Amino acid sequence: MEDRFAMVGIRSAPAAKPERRRRRSLPLPSVLLLAVIVLGCLCCELFIPKDPAYMDLFHYTQAPDSEFWFGTDTMGRDVFSMIWYGGRVSLCIGFLATLISTTIAVVFGSISGLAPRWLDDLLMRFTEIVLSIPSLLLVVLIQAILGKANVLSISLVIGVTGWTSIAKVVRTEVRRIRNSEHVIAARCMGAGFFRILWKHLAPNFFSSIMFMVVMNVRSAIVAESTLSFMGIGLPLEVISWGSMLSLSEKALSSGAWWIILTPGAFLVVTMLCITNIGNALRRNVSRKESNL
Amino acid sequence: MAEILLDVQHLTHCFKLSRSAAIRAVDDVSFQLRRGEILGLVGESGSGKSTVARCALNVLKPTEGRILYKGVDVCDPKQFRANRRMLQTTRQLIFQDSTSSLNQHMTVADIIAEPMAIHHIRPKRGTLRAEAEFQLKYVGLDPTYLDKYPPELSGGMRQRVAIARALSMEPELLVADEPIASLDVSIQAQIINLFKHLQDEHGFSFLFIAHDLAVVRYLCDRVGVMYRGKLVELAPTQALFDDPHHPYTRSLLSAIPIPDPRRERARTLHSFDPAQFGREGALVEVAPDHYVLQRGGGA
Amino acid sequence: MMRKNPWLYYGQKLLIFVLSVLLLSVIAFYIARLAPGDPLVSYYGDRVEKMKPAERAWAEEKLGLNEPIHVQYLRWLQGALRGDFGISYKYKTDVLEVIGGRAVNTLILGGVAFVLIFSLALGLGILCAWFEDRWPDRILCKVGTVISCIPEFWLSLVLILVFAVNLRWLPSSGAYSVGNGGDVGDRILHLILPLTVAVLNHLWYYAYMIRNKLLEEIRAEYVLLAKSKGLNKRQVMFRHCLRNIIPSYLSIMAISVPHILGGTYIVETVFSYPGIGTLSYESARYQDYNLLMVLCILSGAIVILFNLAAQIINERIDPRMKENALVETSEVTEVGR
Repeated sequence: MEDRFAMVGIRSAPAAKPERRRRRSLPLPSVLLLAVIVLGCLCCELFIPKDPAYMDLFHYTQAPDSEFWFGTDTMGRDVFSMIWYGGRVSLCIGFLATLISTTIAVVFGSISGLAPRWLDDLLMRFTEIVLSIPSLLLVVLIQAILGKANVLSISLVIGVTGWTSIAKVVRTEVRRIRNSEHVIAARCMGAGFFRILWKHLAPNFFSSIMFMVVMNVRSAIVAESTLSFMGIGLPLEVISWGSMLSLSEKALSSGAWWIILTPGAFLVVTMLCITNIGNALRRNVSRKESNL
Repeated sequence: MAEILLDVQHLTHCFKLSRSAAIRAVDDVSFQLRRGEILGLVGESGSGKSTVARCALNVLKPTEGRILYKGVDVCDPKQFRANRRMLQTTRQLIFQDSTSSLNQHMTVADIIAEPMAIHHIRPKRGTLRAEAEFQLKYVGLDPTYLDKYPPELSGGMRQRVAIARALSMEPELLVADEPIASLDVSIQAQIINLFKHLQDEHGFSFLFIAHDLAVVRYLCDRVGVMYRGKLVELAPTQALFDDPHHPYTRSLLSAIPIPDPRRERARTLHSFDPAQFGREGALVEVAPDHYVLQRGGGA
Repeated sequence: MMRKNPWLYYGQKLLIFVLSVLLLSVIAFYIARLAPGDPLVSYYGDRVEKMKPAERAWAEEKLGLNEPIHVQYLRWLQGALRGDFGISYKYKTDVLEVIGGRAVNTLILGGVAFVLIFSLALGLGILCAWFEDRWPDRILCKVGTVISCIPEFWLSLVLILVFAVNLRWLPSSGAYSVGNGGDVGDRILHLILPLTVAVLNHLWYYAYMIRNKLLEEIRAEYVLLAKSKGLNKRQVMFRHCLRNIIPSYLSIMAISVPHILGGTYIVETVFSYPGIGTLSYESARYQDYNLLMVLCILSGAIVILFNLAAQIINERIDPRMKENALVETSEVTEVGR
């Protein structure tokens, strides 16, 4: 056997590189709009004209005019100021709840994925049972136990009820990867559970849960506003998009459409931006996978 | 005779298929690997070669039998735990498929340095990266590849990276599970030569698993032939190729094509009937250091 | 190999179902009992504060609250197996009776929504796939995404604002006008708004799913073959592609039950439609945990049932999903002879 090999035949010229298609990785308008909303909420003190918590008894339920741009609510608070101020709470809950549920999902999914068959079966059965209780009821129950709601407890409630679908994906991915040879190799070398999780499993399932994580932010914000609207979430004093909408019953009877429409519009626009970003992420992942 | 590094005794491994069915992938296999030698294991696919390798490295737990490595019973959890660091640093494994044995999301530098990072070994050459660069050069790759990801490399390059990773720990036992089966023939030759060269230099013991007899003949000091989970013949390479005893070995050897048309035409194929294969029996020494599975042979 | 006995197979699934529901009931029972709030208060109202300790003890014994939780659970389970799920603290009647009266309304709302969602989604999905990337598809995709982003309760509010408050076309709450319970037309009128919200909220998700699955099928190679045989677009779409996605569509329908049910609960609350959703909301507010617990178990059982159905459908379609998929091997030996 020799090291050298004769070249036989015509050596074909290297193939021309396929024309690179221009691909937009993220939808720019959505990202910009979301950035404006997030920044506006974070730095709202710089530009809001009124104190959002101040109840102006002379100007309650006032239609939008030059002083109150988006009108005032039934308690005389300035809706424009409240929107930006309350967005902070809503977004914060969205991210916090997602953080909580993603953490639970990744740990739970990885354990289930790496566990022996019977434990995996048991854990998945458990997830199914948790999933089977309508999340509204679960939230109501947990809320009852935790007592009076604040930002943290609401995030906790939403996070604890929203992890199952991500956990299922993580588990499936981990089960797929765990017998691949690079994980066996790492185990042979003596890598511990967390090293394998962090270095070998996480990078591989990260892309497939990214879309779900983004969508989780969305559903967490919706959940917060729904709960607060129904009166089992944040109380009226804690301003958020949901708690602003909890006044809508009174607003309906007095025909004050601005109290209902403005926070909702912000909510919907935010949801739309997040959805677009999430969908773009999913497209990118599937494109990447089809290229491999 | 050299010191025995790896002693596999009556190794049996069953894969459970369901509650009631199992498959005997390895059935009562015993052999010894001496320090500094290259032992080849050949056999058709499904004959249990890889399972032996995986058992030897604690990837799989044997159903029965013992595996002694430097006198340590690696299958005993207690002894394993006591010697964990020694076992994990001095034994290394190279896989067949380098696409899946290298993590796609790590750079070449990270991959090569991973075992050192796991065991917090202070790199001899300063940084982990310098160490990775050295190992990469050692297996004949340019240091510019350090920051590439495995999918950007060709199959041969990836296998070199896998070898570099294994060598970075300066192992005493290297197990290669069909390391060249998924490569082109020309690359296979390069990798085989690399193995020979590295073994000359390092002097590690090498358990080399292949299904290609020509490669084994070129590389190995001794060869074991496996068939349906049984070790049917174990002999020094020259003895095995000159004087095969077991009918399966004979048919296997007769299947090697000869690169000479005239002799190739004269070649006769020994056929081997699987129905004749007796699972019972034991290895019998028919010539010095030459063992054959024979019916009724007592150990 | 090993074609499983169908009785064994369905028996196994049934066992899983029973065990899951049992476990669910344990969890729900413990949460309900450990939740804060005095059940006596919800049963006797403000009178509890004036009760003497002896009266209190008597009341507790009457409701079975003085025993350890696991005894309470076992007693409850015994009763439940005989069809007695305990009493609602607020309504002071049998839980099943309270639920039964409301369940019909939810069943009507949820059921009609379910049928509408899946038939409309199928139609829209086919439409979008047919006009892939042309203007009907694009417009539908855009509109659908926007609508699916609107939270249910806000959509309900807007609809109430427009159709009930401003235009006064439709009623804004309840299942029927007071004193007009028997009138079918009146009930339908009350159903329109809640139904619209429940349908719109989920419709696009499933339509989009159908569209993508159809497109995936259209790109498969057997379609190319069918076209080369001379089938036209309609034949390919309806005879081949659609037929291939129907089974997985069925399993998706089964899995979607909890989502649609959960959505219905919210819609009910906003429209004060007297169904299970409003009932559970009220029971939570008035700390009627016995009722809430039974509601949880009931909804949970329905969901688990449909999940199992989906699993069975999936395993029928794709044998790879079967848990013990075995390979035919030559050297299969019995373990533990």
